[in-house]
Parts: sequence; C-alpha cells; structure tokens
Amino acid sequence: MVKYIVKRLLMCLLILFGVSIIIYFLVLLMPADYVDQKFASQIAQGAMDKAAIQEMKEKYALADKSFGGILNGYVRWLGGVCTGDLGRSFKYDMPVTTVIVENMGISFGISFVALILQFVIAIPLGIKAACNQYGKIDYTVTVLTMMGISLPTFFLAALLVQVFSINLGWFPVNGLVTANLPVDTSSFERFLDELWHLVLPMTTLVILSIGGLMRHTRTNMLEVLNADYIRTARAKGLSERTVVYKHAFKNTMIPIVTMTAGIIPSLFGGAMITETVFGIPGIGKMAYDALKIGDVPFVMGYNMFLAILTVIGTLLSDLMYMLVDPRVKLTK
Amino acid sequence: MAENKHVHRLSAKESRAIAKENLKITKQYEKLKKRKYVPEEEYRAEMKDEGNILEIEDLHTYFFTDVGVVKAVNSVSFSIPQGATVGVVGESGCGKSVTSLSVMGLVQGPTGQVVGGEIRFKSEVLKKDEKGKYIPIYERDENGELIVESETIDKKTGEKVYRYKQKRDETGGLMFEKEPKVYNLVKTPRSEMSKIRGREIAMIFQEPMTSLNPVFTIGEQLNEVYCLHNPGATTEDAKNRTYEMLNLVGIIPDNVYKRYPHELSGGMRQRVVIAMALMCNPRLIIGDEPTTALDVTIQAQILELLRNIKTKINGSIMLITHDLGVIAEMADYVVVMYAGKVIETGTAMEIFCNPLHPYTIGLQKSKPVVNQNQDRLYSIPGNVPNPIEMPTHCYFKDRCNRACEKCNGEYPGYVQVSPTHKVACYLYEEGVNE
Repeated sequence: MVKYIVKRLLMCLLILFGVSIIIYFLVLLMPADYVDQKFASQIAQGAMDKAAIQEMKEKYALADKSFGGILNGYVRWLGGVCTGDLGRSFKYDMPVTTVIVENMGISFGISFVALILQFVIAIPLGIKAACNQYGKIDYTVTVLTMMGISLPTFFLAALLVQVFSINLGWFPVNGLVTANLPVDTSSFERFLDELWHLVLPMTTLVILSIGGLMRHTRTNMLEVLNADYIRTARAKGLSERTVVYKHAFKNTMIPIVTMTAGIIPSLFGGAMITETVFGIPGIGKMAYDALKIGDVPFVMGYNMFLAILTVIGTLLSDLMYMLVDPRVKLTK
Repeated sequence: MAENKHVHRLSAKESRAIAKENLKITKQYEKLKKRKYVPEEEYRAEMKDEGNILEIEDLHTYFFTDVGVVKAVNSVSFSIPQGATVGVVGESGCGKSVTSLSVMGLVQGPTGQVVGGEIRFKSEVLKKDEKGKYIPIYERDENGELIVESETIDKKTGEKVYRYKQKRDETGGLMFEKEPKVYNLVKTPRSEMSKIRGREIAMIFQEPMTSLNPVFTIGEQLNEVYCLHNPGATTEDAKNRTYEMLNLVGIIPDNVYKRYPHELSGGMRQRVVIAMALMCNPRLIIGDEPTTALDVTIQAQILELLRNIKTKINGSIMLITHDLGVIAEMADYVVVMYAGKVIETGTAMEIFCNPLHPYTIGLQKSKPVVNQNQDRLYSIPGNVPNPIEMPTHCYFKDRCNRACEKCNGEYPGYVQVSPTHKVACYLYEEGVNE
C-alpha cells in the first residue's frame, strides 16, 4: 500500500515534469507579451524607444524568443521551482505562491459549496430518473439538466445577473463586498454580506455542473438496477426502497466517489469564467487577468498548481476506489 | 432455411409505431402495479384443490419489445401439490424461467408484464391485532402457565412489567400467530409480495457469479434475509442461523462469513445463494437450474439437501432444469414446456416411462445413456419458432417427425391420458390412434 503510493508519487513527478515543459513553451508562444502590453502607451507616445523596451524585456527574460532562449529560461524557472520558488508575478508584483495562497480561499469556498449543492441535488435526481426510466420525471429531469450543461457559462451568468440583479434587484451585480459597508459591521455580518454576493456565482456553478453528475448517476443506477444481484435482493423480499437505496446505491456510488476525487483541481483552482463575470477576486479571475497580459511566472505557477492538484486527484481517486470497492486491491 | 424467407426487417417507422403502442400498454400495467393502496379482495383467491400450495392457471407473460410482442409464457397452467417436487423441463427460451419469475413477481418491467391468468398461492400470513402488531405465541410450562423471561419495573407507574418467553421456530425466529390466506400473486401489491418473497417462496437463481451483491459481505447478505422476515430478530440470531445454513450447504462458515462474493469460487457462491434461499424455511422453493453451475458431486449433495429440507418443513419445490437426470431423481411431477406452452404434464413415472408428445420423446432421446452403444446423440431437428410471429398451428409441427394432416389445424387441446397425465398433441386424440 505504502509502496504503491510512493511509486505513484514518483510517477507523478515525471508527469509534472512533462507538463511543465509543455506549459512553459505554450505560454511563451502566446502572442501576448507583458512588456509590449505594459508599455504600449509609452511606445505610442514615443516616450520609450525600442532599445529601452528591449532592455526591459531582457530584465523580464522575455527577450530571446529563439528555442535556445526559451530553453534557457525554462531551465532557470525549473531551478527556481526545485528550490520552492515559483518566481515573482509581473502583474501582481508579489511571489506567485503568495498570490495563489491568498486568493485560493474564496475560490475554494465558492466551489466547495457549489460542489456540495451539486451532489445533494444531482444524485437524488439521477436516482429518481433512473427509477422512473422513460417516465415523466425522467424526461423532465434529463431535459432540464441537459439545458444546464449546454448553456455557456458567461451566457448563463449574464442571464442570472439580468434577471435577479438588474430586473429584480435581489442580488448584487458583481463584486464580493458591498462598497459602503459601515465600519462597525461585525465579522458575522460581513460574512453574510459576502455570502449574499456569492449566491449568483454559486448558482451558476451548480446549474452548470448538475447535468453531468446527474446523467452519470442515472446511467450507473440503470446499469446496476438491471443487475442480477438486484433481482436477488428483490427475491429476498426487500422493499423497493431498500433495494434502491441500499443494494443499488452502494454500487452506483463506486464510480461517483472516484469521480469526486477528480474534481479536486476545480475545487481549488477556481472557476475562471464565473469569477471573471461576477468580478470576484478569486484565483480564477487572477489567472485570467494574468493570462491576458502575458504574466509568464504567474501563468506558469497557476498551471503547475492545477497540474499538481490533478495528479493528486487521480491518485486519490484510485485510492478511493480501493476504499469503496472491495474487489479492488492496490498491491503493485 | 425456408423460414428465413418470411423474416422481414422492420422499418424504423414500424418499429417506432410498435414502441409507442407498447409504451401505452405497459404504462397501464405499471400504473396498476404502482398503486399505493390495493383492496385485499382484489388479490384474495380460492384454491381449486386444497392439496396444492401453488396453482398456476392460464398464465400469460408477455415482453413488449420494440420488434413486437414476445409471448414468453402463453397460457401455462399447472399446480404444485403440498410437499411435492415439480420439475419443469424444456429447452432454452421455452419460458421456464419466466414462469418462475412471474410467480415471484420479478418479471423485469416495464417491458415484461404478466398480462393474464392467475397464480394462486396458499400463504401463511402473520396475523395482526387491532393495533397492527403481530401476535406473539408464548411458551407455556407443564401447567399451562406463561414462562417469565424477564421483569422490569415501569418507571412511571411503578408496576411490574413481565416479558414472557416467546416460542421459537426451527430457524430460531420468534413465533407469531399465522393465518392461512390464498393470494393471487399476479395481483398482489408489492408490499404484500415482499412479505411472501424470501419467507414463503424463495428462489435459487442460476447465475451464481452475478447473483450476489459485490459490495456486501456474505454474512451481511445472509443476515439481511433473516432479519427482514423475523420481526424482533437480533443480529446474533441472524448470525446463528447463517452459520447453521452455511454448514448445511457444506461451507465452513468462518471461512466465508466476512468475505466478499468475488473471493469465492462459483460453486461456493451457488451454495451461498442456496443457503440464502433456505434461510427462512420457505414453503415453496423455486430452483432455477440450481445445480447447473456445480460439479456432479456437489450437485448430488445439493439435491440431497433440497430434498431433506423439503421433507423437514413439508415444503414444495419447483425445479427448473434441462437436466433430465436431475428431474428423474428429484421430481414427483413433471411439466414439459415448449415455446411458452405446457405440452405435457404427468407424474415423473409417466413422463419417463411413457412419454407421449413427440417433443418429450425427442428430449429423452437426446439424453446420453450409459451402457448404450451410440455413435451420435439424437438431436431434435430445427429450431424453436420465432417468438414474435408464432404460428397458429402446433408450435412443434415443423420439427415433428410424426406430424400429420390434422397438425395444420389450430393449436391442439389437451388430451387426458390418465388422471395425472395430459398431453397437447393430435396424435392422442380419440380415434386417431385406432
């Protein structure tokens, strides 16, 4: 068991190495150049000449765009990573790690609540739909959730804002804190205020993700309900409830639980588009802004962060498999 | 090959029309099944013969598939006398298993539906008092006095509360008063049905590899049956019974109690499935090829076991198999099925010594016999007719080596050869033979 985990972790390192190469080269191939963008106005006004720009680029290690130059930059970056230094973000002018750690909280909060809601809603719906296959409930649930999947994030977010913020005025349009909050508000009231701001983003995330999970549950449940051991359970004289919620449910949960472990990256990594539309200063929005202006260290750091989470998520999901399914043994 | 000419592929349009029609029909049946409250009069019935435990009369079980209606069980009637073993034989797909599933009420809906007929079962229902509680039967000593098991003092009233010793049956379960009631299982609602399944009618399934739930241990799965049907049973009671049953089927309980199904071999699993069926001493055991997956030595043991249990509890067995050897050894009565219909019934003696229907004769000829010099085993020519478009004449006509003019007519009725022996064949109608 321990041996297995160690082996997997070593393999993860190898994977991460490969991932870092790909990301680094892709980022540098992006047309957006931090220096060009930052000093665009100065260049236009003629306040800075080409030589000065070139000098700046050299300072940021962005000057040499040949293969050798990129490789050189990559090796330097990798050296830093090995010592635990992800570099300094151009845009935020802070160590990348600090930016990530400081902004992760709010993203995690949103995603976590959304995830729980998603489970609480999608799994029972999936089971209900499976138990009434091709019935009214099944069709209604399927159609509604499919609509949820099909909507683009920005569209759904904009729609919610239009209806609930602008027309009805129930929720704020964007942001995380009410601007003119009195100084003496208690921390609990502040928390409630934040929560109030987060209702729409969370709703967006939940609506978007319910569909996938619900369909997953439904398909698994249908498959399990047709299994021979379910017939055996019925033949024992168990009520339909026990058959579905005990015998079938535990089998249905196997793939779902393992899928959950795979959700970890999105849990910490933030929801880029949702956060951007609602103007929430989470890690997703930070990454989006950094990406736009070609903040190489931050984009690298952020992507590596996601890669690490993904790799850990896969490992966890394999371990989860062992926990929930007695047939799976991880020995090698 | 001649048959293939008539087979035509359904167009998408036709198939859709059929599916739509099917949905309409199956919805009605499902709706009937899903009703919350069903008045008892609707599923109470009377046995035709008090000596029977199960009577199947004119049973029709259809499958509404997208290519048409498959009449898997098409007017099947037979009965199982109390304490007897009835063997049901026939080749694959003749409706044996579907008949048994219909009895259990386990036909896979919404495609499969019991559309007609009656299955009457003499049930022993736990009696309830006015409060809806079961009435316990207490043990009495020589003087007819109740035996006090424990006494506690009610904290509110300060009075002594006695708990009397309740009688236990052979399975170790607490005994309650029972009353005989005859149910028509076709119409019995799910809630009542689940009290019969596992307790009074138990089924042994034929696929041992997939019949056990992979995520529960053997112990959990066996205990569950016991706890379900014995009100007031503790886990300890259940475990005792489980150990007893596992011993009975020849497994050392400690070896498997905490194991998961995948850790057991096929034979072991089949025995677990059998132990599960016998947990509550059912009065009717339906064995759907219970020994097919086992090797011959175990097979003999299991059959012996079934027979012992049957005599012990005066139960009955409905044994489905295509192994005529098993039937010869076990059955008192034999029902021969072909393409969803019963073609011949009789006592085991009559069927084996005096088979009448050409199909029964063919079946027997295709069984290998020791001490006989045979180069090739006999096989009945041809195949079972297409289940969707059944002919109107005798279903066996095209494969029959004794078919005559009359066989082109409508499906033959039953000819009563002896009080117990019936056959559906024109050859035995009066006047034909002479």
